[in-house]
Order: sequence, then structure tokens, then C-alpha cells
Amino acid sequence: MLGEILNPYYLQVAAFIMINIILAISIYITLSSGQLSLGSAGFMGIGAYTSALLTIHFELPIIVGILAGAVVAGIIGILIGIPALRLQGVYLAIATLGFGEVVRIIFVNWESVTRGSIGLSGIPHMGRELLRFFKDIGFDPDMIGLKNNQFIYLLVLLILVLINIILIWFFTRQNKSRIGRAFAAIKMDEKAAEAMGLNITYYKVLSFAQGAVLAGFAGALYAHVLAYISPADFAYHRAIEILIFSVFGGSEVILGAVFGATFLTLLPEALRFISEYRYMIYGAILVLMMAFRPQGIIDASVLNWFKKNLKSKRGTNHGTRINKNN
Amino acid sequence: MLIEQLINGITLGSIYAIVALGFTLVFGVLGIINMAHGEIFMIGAFIGVVTTSVLGLPLWIAFIAAIGVTAALGYLLERIALRPLRGKQGVSHLAPLISTIGVSIILENLSHHLFGAGNQPFRNAFADIQFQIGSITVYLVQILIFVISIALMLTLSFWLSKTKAGKALRATAENLETASLLGVNTKRTITTTVIIASAMGGIAGILVGMAFNSVNPQMGLSMGLKGLAIIILGGMGNVKGAMAGGLLLGVAETGIVAYGDSGYRDAVAFITIIFILLLRPQGLFGKKTAEAGR
Repeated sequence: MLGEILNPYYLQVAAFIMINIILAISIYITLSSGQLSLGSAGFMGIGAYTSALLTIHFELPIIVGILAGAVVAGIIGILIGIPALRLQGVYLAIATLGFGEVVRIIFVNWESVTRGSIGLSGIPHMGRELLRFFKDIGFDPDMIGLKNNQFIYLLVLLILVLINIILIWFFTRQNKSRIGRAFAAIKMDEKAAEAMGLNITYYKVLSFAQGAVLAGFAGALYAHVLAYISPADFAYHRAIEILIFSVFGGSEVILGAVFGATFLTLLPEALRFISEYRYMIYGAILVLMMAFRPQGIIDASVLNWFKKNLKSKRGTNHGTRINKNN
Repeated sequence: MLIEQLINGITLGSIYAIVALGFTLVFGVLGIINMAHGEIFMIGAFIGVVTTSVLGLPLWIAFIAAIGVTAALGYLLERIALRPLRGKQGVSHLAPLISTIGVSIILENLSHHLFGAGNQPFRNAFADIQFQIGSITVYLVQILIFVISIALMLTLSFWLSKTKAGKALRATAENLETASLLGVNTKRTITTTVIIASAMGGIAGILVGMAFNSVNPQMGLSMGLKGLAIIILGGMGNVKGAMAGGLLLGVAETGIVAYGDSGYRDAVAFITIIFILLLRPQGLFGKKTAEAGR
């Protein structure tokens, strides 16, 4: 029975939702300190290519490759982030946009390493490597009634879900910590935050680098889930797509990014006829959101409303019980 | 060889300059970056293809049609994507940027659906007419593009500095509220600015079609990014800086293609953006600091 529900296609879509959530969180983190970065696709590409090349040429384990991808993206993020701090608002957006394009052009032209616009194929697939590992230790998917294919995608999805839970937990915690409050203060008013004694340079580079690490991490996961990458995967459109996840879902709360990524990944899959017009709809969403709801679908007041409603329901239950007792 | 490359570079650069002028006008008046400008330019080029190649009409009609359509697009852009955000409480300064990115995606994919992803040829009657001056070959098209660009820049400079509307525009750019108090119809001035900027994008579109004989939906993006690079190079909101920056980028790109690796041609603009922003954020000719332009 389990075998029938677990259609590999659905599992694959779910895996992409998870990767997109990581990307959305990466842009949410940079936005939370008031910086708009359009370079997330570039960092994603750096992570993906680093991990893919390391695992293909040096036969490193996938997990080492993925971590290396995230670290390299983070280092480049810091290198870009420190000088880019002199820039604010639209200037940072343009500089990071330029950075993303330079990265893509390098991927296209550095043919000896990246194989140009053809892209890299034959990247070790996360699920298949795990299947081999499980078979080596004497476990066969048939034992729980699953086909190899289902088992592979299920395993990948479970890992991604686990990663996402950890990430969301971590960044929710961080938001409530000194760091999160510093980000919020800088977003509100940079000069006032500086006057209050915050080390703006440190916090801005931190948020920029966190975004870069997450994007590189997501890119590396993407490479090992899809097993094929090309420079076109990390172009300007990808950066815009990632931005839309956060802008549509809500750029002020982390759940907004999660909601935006989930909804906008499912939408073209659920409505096939829409997928052809996907980017036009994305564009319309951006224009309409900015005009009518610049903070995105989910913001703090929506979350509070949900909390209040849940609480009041519990409250009435409580009240009726008291009445009965009386 | 060197002089021919220089002529190629100046031809390309004068088109870049016109695109950049559209960016710089909008930035100067509204303080925002119009990310849809590149796509409006691309629509202008496609209007040129449709009028000359499909309908078989002469080139001057193509110019008029492109100006008309892109001006209308500029008006719509202002009404739909920019005006609702203006003067609203609590809207971040990034909102207009994101909103115009939205418009740019809509336009790019619209033309993708209408005209297909491939290159469309742009035919004109005098594409092959050329002159020999000594050992140098000059195409008539190149001269035409250069003349039109210079004429356009002179007209714009004259309009900005000498006419009443131009003064109103400069006053609005200086300070919107004060200009409004002094009796300038700022709403109309802003609309006019966006319309003129878009129409210049449309003209540039036809010029590119003439110069390269091919038009595709993706050209808006790369031209838009190059336009951004130029106004950053020349100083945001600076009209003369946009012209000089455009010529500079055109010559630099042609130089890379002729004497370097043509694959990295597009990278010149973006590397320029990054270095200029880091070393001299006010641009080569600008006085404003990066902060003032927020």
C-alpha cells in the first residue's frame, strides 16, 4: 500500500520544494538585515559546481562535497560582502546582480573545468549512493515493500525534510537572539542601530554570508538531487525566482519564505497549463504584491491572528467545561 | 584595423548611451532604477522587426511605431507599477525596484510567447552599403546610427536645459515637494519623464536591430544590465555621464572581442559595475554619494 502512494514524481517535486525553501530562507536572512541581494543564484551555482566537481574528479563522499560547496559559497560571500557593505539599497542589489552574471559567464566560458554551457552530467546522485550503502550493509528496499526508485526518492526527501527542520529551528532561534534583534534594528534604521552601539559591519556581513552559505548549500543539494547542472540553472531568472518566493510568501517572517517556496513550486506542477505562463504570473505577482501588500502574504499580524484564534478556541472549550461543572 | 574597431565601438557605444539615458532620466527624477527599461527596449526592437520585415513598411514608419508603442508602455509602467507605490507609508525603497523587475519578466515572457525564443532577422534596404576611405570600411548603417544618437542626445540636452518642461523636470529631480509647492505639476512631469525614457529605449531598440540584423527576447535583459553598468560608470542621474559611459563601454567591449576573448564580452559591463561601485560609488562624473541616491 505504501508503495502505491509513494510516486517517485511526487517525491521529486517534494524534494524540490525543500531545496527551494532553503533558497527562500537564504534570501530571507539577507533581507532581514535590510539588504537586497540578487546574487543568490550565483552563490547557488558556486555551491553546486564546487560540490559536483569535487565529487566527480576527486571521488569525495557527497556530504564532504556539499559542505565544501556551502563553505566556498560562504567564503566568496564574505569576500563580496565586506566591500559591498559600502553600498546600500539599490546599489547593493545591482552589484550582486552583476556578481551573479559574472559567475554565470565564468561557468559558460571556463570550458576546461565546467564544460561550458553543456553543463556537468554524471554527478553522483545522493539517493543512489545511499541505496548502494544500504545494500552493502545488507538492507534491501524490498524488505519494506518498496521499489528501488521509491526508496531512493523517499530517502532523499527525508534527508531534505530533516535539514529543513533543523534550519528553520536554527533561524527561528536566531531571530529571537541578540543577532536577530540586531538584524531587525539595522533593517529599521541603520544609523540609529549604529548609534545604539551595534557593530553594523559585523552583523551585515554575517547576514550576507549566512545567505551565501545557505544558497551554496542549497545549490550543492540541487546538484546531487538532479545529478545534472548547467550554467542556465543559475541565471538571472533563478535569482528572481528565489526573490519571489520570499516577496510573495512574506519577507518579514521565516514562515513566509517557507510558504512562498512551497506554494510557488506546487503551483506550476498542480496546474500544468499554468507552467507555460509561469514567469508572466511571477511578474504579475511581483507588481501586485508591491502595490497592495509589500510585506507578502504572511506577516506578523497574520501569524498573531492565527495564534489568537487557536488560543480563543481553547479558551472557549475551557469555559464551557467550567459551565458544565457548575 | 584599429580605426575600424574604434568605429564599431563608437556605433555600439552610442546605442548604449541612448539606453543609459533612459535609465538616468528616470533615476534622476524618481530616484528609482527602472529594471523594465531593457525589456521596453527589446519590445521597441520587435516592433521594428514587425513593421519592416513582416509588414514590409519603410524604416521611418518603424521608428514612429516603436516610439508610439514604447511610449504607451512607459505610461502603463508608470501608472501600474510606479504610481501606486509613490507616497505610500511604510513602503521600502526596494519596492519600486522589485515592482519593475516584475514588469520586466512579464514583458520578456510576453515577447517570448509572441515571437518565439529564436533570433528574428531585421532587414533593411541599405544594410550592405559601405564606403571605402583609404583602407577603412565604413557602413552607412553605422553613420546613420551615430547621427541619430548624437541628434537625440543634443535634443535631450536642449530640452532639459532650455525649455520650460525641461526646467520643471530638473526642479522635480532636485526636490519633488519643493517643485510641487512652486507650481510644477510633478505628477505630469514624472509621467512625461517615464514616457520619454521609454521612447528613447524604443529608438535604441530599432538602432540595435539595424546594427546587428537580429532581435531576440533575451536581448532586453543583457542590454538592461549594461545600461545599469553605464549609469553607474557615469554617475547615477547624470546625463553627460551616461553618454560618456556608453561610448566607453562600447569601445571597451569591441576591444575585448577584437583583441581578447569574445566569450567574456558581457562580463566587461558587470565587472565594471562591481569595481566602480566599490572604488568610486558616485561614478566617474558624479558628485552625489552612494547614500544620497538611496
